[in-house]
Amino acid sequence: MNRPSRAALAMLVLALLFLVGPFFVVFIAGFSADETLAFPPRSVGLRWLAHVFTVESFQRSLGTSLVVGVGSTLGALGLGVPVAYALSRYAVPGREWVRTLLTLPLVVPGIIVGLALLNHMVLLYNLPVLASLLVGHTALLVPYAVRVVSASLANLRQDIDDAAITLGATRAQAFFKVVLPNIRGAIGAAAVLAFITSFNQVPVSLFLTGPGVSTLPIEMMAYMETSYDPSIAALSTLLVLMTLAVVAATEKLLGLSRYV
Amino acid sequence: MNRTRIAWGLLAPALAFVSLFFLAPVLALLAGAFKVEGAFGLAHFQAFFAEPLHAQVYWRTLRLAGLATLVAAVVCYPAAMALVKVPPPWRGLLTGLVILPLMVSPIARTYAWIVLLGRNGLANSLLVQGGVISEPMTLLFTEGAVFVGLLQLMMPLMLVSLVSALENLPPDVLNAARTLGANRWQAFFKVTLPLTQEGLIIGGTLVFTGCVTAYITPALLGGPKVLMLETLLYQKVNVAGDTTAASVIAVLLLATTVAVNQGLRRVGRGSKRVAT
Repeated sequence: MNRPSRAALAMLVLALLFLVGPFFVVFIAGFSADETLAFPPRSVGLRWLAHVFTVESFQRSLGTSLVVGVGSTLGALGLGVPVAYALSRYAVPGREWVRTLLTLPLVVPGIIVGLALLNHMVLLYNLPVLASLLVGHTALLVPYAVRVVSASLANLRQDIDDAAITLGATRAQAFFKVVLPNIRGAIGAAAVLAFITSFNQVPVSLFLTGPGVSTLPIEMMAYMETSYDPSIAALSTLLVLMTLAVVAATEKLLGLSRYV
Repeated sequence: MNRTRIAWGLLAPALAFVSLFFLAPVLALLAGAFKVEGAFGLAHFQAFFAEPLHAQVYWRTLRLAGLATLVAAVVCYPAAMALVKVPPPWRGLLTGLVILPLMVSPIARTYAWIVLLGRNGLANSLLVQGGVISEPMTLLFTEGAVFVGLLQLMMPLMLVSLVSALENLPPDVLNAARTLGANRWQAFFKVTLPLTQEGLIIGGTLVFTGCVTAYITPALLGGPKVLMLETLLYQKVNVAGDTTAASVIAVLLLATTVAVNQGLRRVGRGSKRVAT
């Protein structure tokens, strides 16, 4: 009764193969040395893995992706942590409205956000493209910051900041010296989650690219339209390995899986 | 009074930011779809659906999303039942295998299908070598390719939702049902399924809306031949320069996701009332 049935187990194995198998395909293709993409590859080598570092559009867009990723993560934390704290510690009138408004960026499809920023900020008010990318990504990440930090604050006893205040700390001191050290892990996990989300984001960025300003995923898609070599497989291989390393490190240090 | 003021002080920056850089531009964009010569009207929607291609793209988007949701549910339900019974050390590893793909760039995840389904991909080499076909056939840029890509991209969401629903199922209720004479199938359809339908509904909503709003998969695996709402929107802006049609598609995208969210939630409530 408590052992999984054979048919269900077979389905699990099939589902996992379907989910994970494609990664191995990309890995193998990434180590191809063929002129054009073929699978299985006819020759093997590091040729395309080395090549992706020399493509100028990849270099430049990686820089933009990192700037936007770090900037929007910091922005989302700066906006979201106070919200999570206020919602957990104060009886705010209309808190449901606040929550709804701040989860909307998760509900509205990213492509709409990107187009809206293009039409009504970039074209109308001359907002620079890089700034529009930053604000678009920040708005998208605020819900993540609020959700992860709120979950951690819910587990933290409210008496500890009250105790600090009774003992003479100001509200600000109670937050920075008592509450903040206790939610450091959640803030770290939220930061990693937010950065990965921004780094992989396509729909929001789709319309928010301009001369010299483009993110790595957008450039990868553009590259695919004109070239049929295995560069994208090589670059995907590198991205998968980097994601694995970041997730594994965060899991070890902060227990990322508790917050996802 | 003072406390309320502090609270609003903490909330104000985020609320102002999201209103200014998200809500206002999005509302302005959506409003464009309803503005006909300065007044409210639905003429843009009529004009949009008068084009057979547009209706076809909308129908295809709903059809592929629905099919992916259905297949994900049918595959993931037994898989989730097996996963919650796997002993601890293995279980963590397997759960990691389900969650990890969600963190990896969707481009990397979708690219595998280009490798497999391309003219010189694995599928064609096998078919040609096996003598099934003499020339490589077109597998990419078909609805089938988009469907497989969407299914792989969204399946983890269904699996995770079902696993958490099955974990919360009290183990005694099943034993009670069996003791009281229910056979395996009766116990499943009368006890397990109704008690875990919340997970099915959450997973279904996530998969369906994820498919409707996916851009990368239809762009890479469908191309201009197999358009979905998001790729059509992109084309309207960047190829046709038709902002009005883009606003209409934006309204359709949002209305569809909201309707499915609300609709499935109502289905959940309705059948719960029947069950009790």
